[in-house]
Amino acid sequence: MYALTGLWEKVLRFTETGGPVIWVIAVVLFLMWTMIIERWVYLQFIYPKEARQLIAQWHARQDTTSWHAHRIRDAWLSQASVRLNARMTLIKTLVAICPLIGLLGTVYGMIGVFEALAQQGSGNPRLMAGGIFRATMPTMAGMVAAISGLFVVSYIDGMARNRADQLADSMPHH
Amino acid sequence: MKRFLTTLAAGALMASTGVYAAAPKAVSLDQLLDMVRKAQSAESEVNKKREAEFRQARDQQAALLKSVQGDLNALENEGDRLKAQFEANEKELAVLEEQKNARVGNLGEMFGVVRERAGNAAASIGRSYVSAQFPGREKFLEGMAQSKALPKLDDLKQLWLELTQEMTQQGKVVRFNAPVVLGNGSTEEREVVRVGAFNLISNGEYLIYSPETKQITELARQPAGRFLDSVAPFIKTTSGFTDLYVDPSRGPLLTVVVQEPTFKERLDQGGTVGWVIMVILALGTLLIIYRIIALTLVGSKIMAQVKNPTPGNNPLGRIMAVYAANKSADVENLELKLDEAIMKEVPKLEAGIGIIKVFAALAPLLGLLGTVTGMIDVFQKITMFGAGDPKLMAGGISTALVTTVQGIVTAIPFVFMHAVLSSKSKALVQVLEEQSVGLIAQHNEK
Repeated sequence: MYALTGLWEKVLRFTETGGPVIWVIAVVLFLMWTMIIERWVYLQFIYPKEARQLIAQWHARQDTTSWHAHRIRDAWLSQASVRLNARMTLIKTLVAICPLIGLLGTVYGMIGVFEALAQQGSGNPRLMAGGIFRATMPTMAGMVAAISGLFVVSYIDGMARNRADQLADSMPHH
Repeated sequence: MKRFLTTLAAGALMASTGVYAAAPKAVSLDQLLDMVRKAQSAESEVNKKREAEFRQARDQQAALLKSVQGDLNALENEGDRLKAQFEANEKELAVLEEQKNARVGNLGEMFGVVRERAGNAAASIGRSYVSAQFPGREKFLEGMAQSKALPKLDDLKQLWLELTQEMTQQGKVVRFNAPVVLGNGSTEEREVVRVGAFNLISNGEYLIYSPETKQITELARQPAGRFLDSVAPFIKTTSGFTDLYVDPSRGPLLTVVVQEPTFKERLDQGGTVGWVIMVILALGTLLIIYRIIALTLVGSKIMAQVKNPTPGNNPLGRIMAVYAANKSADVENLELKLDEAIMKEVPKLEAGIGIIKVFAALAPLLGLLGTVTGMIDVFQKITMFGAGDPKLMAGGISTALVTTVQGIVTAIPFVFMHAVLSSKSKALVQVLEEQSVGLIAQHNEK
């Protein structure tokens, strides 16, 4: 418990020095990872059941070679792939947005630096330090957030593609 | 020349006749002799008289000299005596001075402290907002700080009084009437509320007291709304407690806060490029809202149609209607007709998404453009005025940074909303392209 409160204290201090943009990155990161976990749970546990059901339904059909049957199979495969790839674009966008938000924080911090410069002159570099903190922290945070998502997203993307191909292979015309 | 000489000769002649005419005329030689003798005796008599007079004067001067010499001697004697006395006094003075110093002792130090305190108090009271209500208090203190004489007991009491007054007034919120110099230069008598030694407020705005001119001045710019909003209720309150933003630095902080640019000024700092970005932001936002509403409506209609075999007025319904009309045609012909119907529906679903993507890409680019123009401005200033004063460059740098912020702030939601919209439309297009025919077939089989 003590370690947890210590950690929370550290997070607070980090966000304090990094400025308000850090919170935006935190929200984006939270959304991104929630969706990533949701995707992983779906692909790992829920989808296989749906796939088995679909394959059983296909095998139960009498007619698997007519034009109607082809179209129905295409529709099923398409619906399955929609479910497999749901929210993937959104996750990828969130990954792409993270460095952009970091950049926003940097510019925001630089404005603070130059404001201090304009009002007090360049005599006291300590006045600028706050702005410089606000400039560098969000970039780092944005990069870390993006990198943390990048690998997992490509892994899940590949997983979804594999599952779609497997499903197409397990629904033969007979 | 000749004429001049004749005139001169005539003049001389006339003069000589004049002289002789004045003297009594001697008629005979005897008479002349008698006259001469008479004149001689008269002359010798006059001479004798003068001689006697001179002699008398000489005697007088000698007597005078004697008496003056006597005076001189007396004065010299007096001088010697006084000199001796002076020396004696000097010695006594030295002794007394020593005595005084010994007796003053610690008190001398104390008076030094008093003078220093008076000087400090004069400076701080002169600057204090309390002096806006009680002007001229620092004069007495300044006089006390500069005077070489030992301060009197009354002065010490006065110093103590001034310091105590300043102290007690710092803790008070007071209303008083005073002339206020307005922004347009005119002076107006107003009711001013003084909050301790920290702030002066009146008429719902902050005032400032400048110690140089000893005037209460209206601030040319008031601080941001959240600071200003508490002023009017505070002035109205006559009892109890109300919140008020107070400047603990007694003025300087307020003047800095006032300089902080408002949101509108921040936007203005971005310049033309900044406004172009804002226009793109507005247009893009409207487009996004429109597309979200349109796609949600169409999407819900299509989803309803999936479960309903009778074709309605929506993209999927229209495709179903095409199938219903060409049911009897052969498979190849039917497929062509269906493809055509689908092709007609897809562009409507994807409309506007490309523009949003362009806006999302354009905004950071425009921000970069603003940055570069801002930097050009900065470098121009540097070539004109040198790099000595960073304040001169601040304008260009704000343009550079504010446009970048605007660009990114526009781009981030646009990128995000583009992803949302395109995945939404892609899902609908997928329903139409890949699933519509299958759905029709399924309905047909039942």
